Amino acid sequence: MTTSTKLRRSMLFLPGSNAAMLSTAFVFKPDSIMFDLEDAVSLREKDSARLLVFHALKLRNYRAMETVVRINPLSTPFGRQDLEAVVRAGVDVVRLPKTDAPEDVHVLEREVERIELECGREVGSTKLMAAIESASGVVNAVAIATASPRLIGIALAGFDYVMDMQTERGDGTELFYARCAVLHAARFAKIDAFDVVFSDVNDDEGFLKEVELIKRLGFNGKSLINPRQIEQLHNAFAPTQEEVDYARRVVAAAELGERQGLGVVSLNGKMIDAPVIQHARVVLQRAQASGVRR
Amino acid sequence: MKIVKEAIAGTLESSDVQVKVAPSEGTLEVVVKSEVEHQFGAQIRAVVNDTLGRLAVSEGIVLVEDKGALDCTLRARVQTAVLRGGAVKDLDWSVL
Amino acid sequence: MNDEFEFYAIDPAREPSERAEIKAFLAKSGLTYEDGIEIFVLGRQGRRLIACGGLEQNIVKCVATDPLFRGESLSLTIVNEVINLAYERGHSHLFLYTRPNNIAFFAGCGFYSIVEVPGMVTLMENTPIGIRRYCDGLKKLRQPGARIGAAVINANPFTRGHRYLIEQAVAASDWLHLFVVAEDASFFPYRDRFQLIKAGVEGIERLTLHPGSEYMVSRATFSSYFFKEKNVVGDCFTAVDLLIFRDWIAPALGITHRFVGTEPFCRTTNKYNLDMKYWLQADLSAAPPVNVVEIERTAQDARAISASEVRRLLRSGDFDRIGKLVPPTTYELLWSKYRTAADGASADAAA
Repeated sequence: MTTSTKLRRSMLFLPGSNAAMLSTAFVFKPDSIMFDLEDAVSLREKDSARLLVFHALKLRNYRAMETVVRINPLSTPFGRQDLEAVVRAGVDVVRLPKTDAPEDVHVLEREVERIELECGREVGSTKLMAAIESASGVVNAVAIATASPRLIGIALAGFDYVMDMQTERGDGTELFYARCAVLHAARFAKIDAFDVVFSDVNDDEGFLKEVELIKRLGFNGKSLINPRQIEQLHNAFAPTQEEVDYARRVVAAAELGERQGLGVVSLNGKMIDAPVIQHARVVLQRAQASGVRR
Repeated sequence: MKIVKEAIAGTLESSDVQVKVAPSEGTLEVVVKSEVEHQFGAQIRAVVNDTLGRLAVSEGIVLVEDKGALDCTLRARVQTAVLRGGAVKDLDWSVL
Repeated sequence: MNDEFEFYAIDPAREPSERAEIKAFLAKSGLTYEDGIEIFVLGRQGRRLIACGGLEQNIVKCVATDPLFRGESLSLTIVNEVINLAYERGHSHLFLYTRPNNIAFFAGCGFYSIVEVPGMVTLMENTPIGIRRYCDGLKKLRQPGARIGAAVINANPFTRGHRYLIEQAVAASDWLHLFVVAEDASFFPYRDRFQLIKAGVEGIERLTLHPGSEYMVSRATFSSYFFKEKNVVGDCFTAVDLLIFRDWIAPALGITHRFVGTEPFCRTTNKYNLDMKYWLQADLSAAPPVNVVEIERTAQDARAISASEVRRLLRSGDFDRIGKLVPPTTYELLWSKYRTAADGASADAAA
């Protein structure tokens, strides 16, 4: 079963070029915080954003959280420098944009390892996340998701993807297949799956509807651009009291079964197997993090 | 690192700092202007000088227009300005 | 921060419809569009124009933001964009003129006041050590004496009349500081003018020749907007120029007297000399007054020697007359570099 124990419901995007935001964003408590060096940063500011993020990553407040940096593609003049900076600064996860094929992950992996060796960082400690932003990426999702043991998740990125598909963002129909493909690839590879950014910060209802959908599909989390969305999302992911109660009973039964050395766990006379127990654990984990759904 | 041309980095937004560098022969002049000069002027100067020192900048004019930036922002902006104003593009990350 | 705002630069000369939009936008803030502006940074929210800032060489002009957004960092951002654009265009030392009520805002943008024409206009620059460093450099050139003179010449080109004026000024002073206007708006470019002056003052003692600086303001780039106001002696441009001289340059060098030539045929110069007496001598500045001394120009063939006369003669190729008005060093340059093909042909034909 999945080995991921880290909750990653919310990943807050911050433009790496905004000094004020970088100075204060740790007060928000997303599950992961993502500093963007790619699309949110103008060409002119690529170098300055890189240094801002380099230094921010070392701040105690950010070290206490899971940090992610979206670097520029390695095919650009910026990507390699971004990687040098953030790996050395101790980023937890490097997010690779526009991942079209497993080779993209391999190239990244080699670079990251080289830098880890050079700077004395524990080899393998820098995790990776692949962003799928094109038809190629979707079609290759399984190969991408299994391309490296460093991968902790794959994310669907909506904006570039719909352009590649020659359509536009709408009610979600346009993401239907991509979401499913990314999700299945993630589950097959036993890593996390992340959904797209919801960009209309004033449309609470639309946001919650989308969150409900992707949660139902099974996504582990979603990328956010507005801190306000964090609490809304955590609450939507929070289990109901009934779900919590049931999950407690499941886990209790599992622990009882373990103590008694039984090969099979049962609850209410029915056999419950590993996926059910794992899911129960996740439910309790979410409840622990944000309480019960309001 | 030698500053060979004028360069600017940062913005004037609150919590940020704008740093301008220009070449100069023989001397290093650092001018700091800050809204919080009284409480933090000395600390800002210390951070700027330390950052410049690590980059081996010994000549130049460095103007710092502070709008309440944290030390980490200050370091980043000073480094960016120096790199933009320098001739060398390869970085030694260990000094940053 | 501003995912919703978009900033980009345009050449107003090439975008007539955007230029018209900017004009209207500026008018709402009580500002006048200035034709000399070479490039504008525009800020838009969707299609709506919400901020603009212009550049004419190294002068920042026409900065305005939509009142609805004031108080947000939009104003700072637009100025930031203009400054970055200026850097990209090779201008790191920037100036701007503004009304006194906007000084605080631009101070927050990293600009520092140089001089203020009370209640009218302030000249600012984007460094705290600009004019101060310039004056620190001047202080090193101080000379002892009770009468320290100064003169400012454009010398377009350097004539015998200039030489005369300078000789008279030196005779009346313990030392003379001679400044050359740096602006390249004259027929003869600065480099040539300066070389001719340098050659032309050869042999005169107790004189320091100062190259031009950015602190002798340029009429060409001065904001025409401020000319509209009438209730100040002279116009604002002259005032700014003279206040810089009085408040900064004169104290640095200990200047007590400023020499000017009279210009019987030129009304503009006469007015300027009157304004000079006002701004340099009246009790309106903390800096000590500087005495203005007018020197009558020398005559040659009963007409005052003027550079404009020389230029006129140059156009008609009358080198005989030119020779009477300019020293040999000036004549040499005019003949070698500035005579027209027609003169050359006739000269060759004659030779």
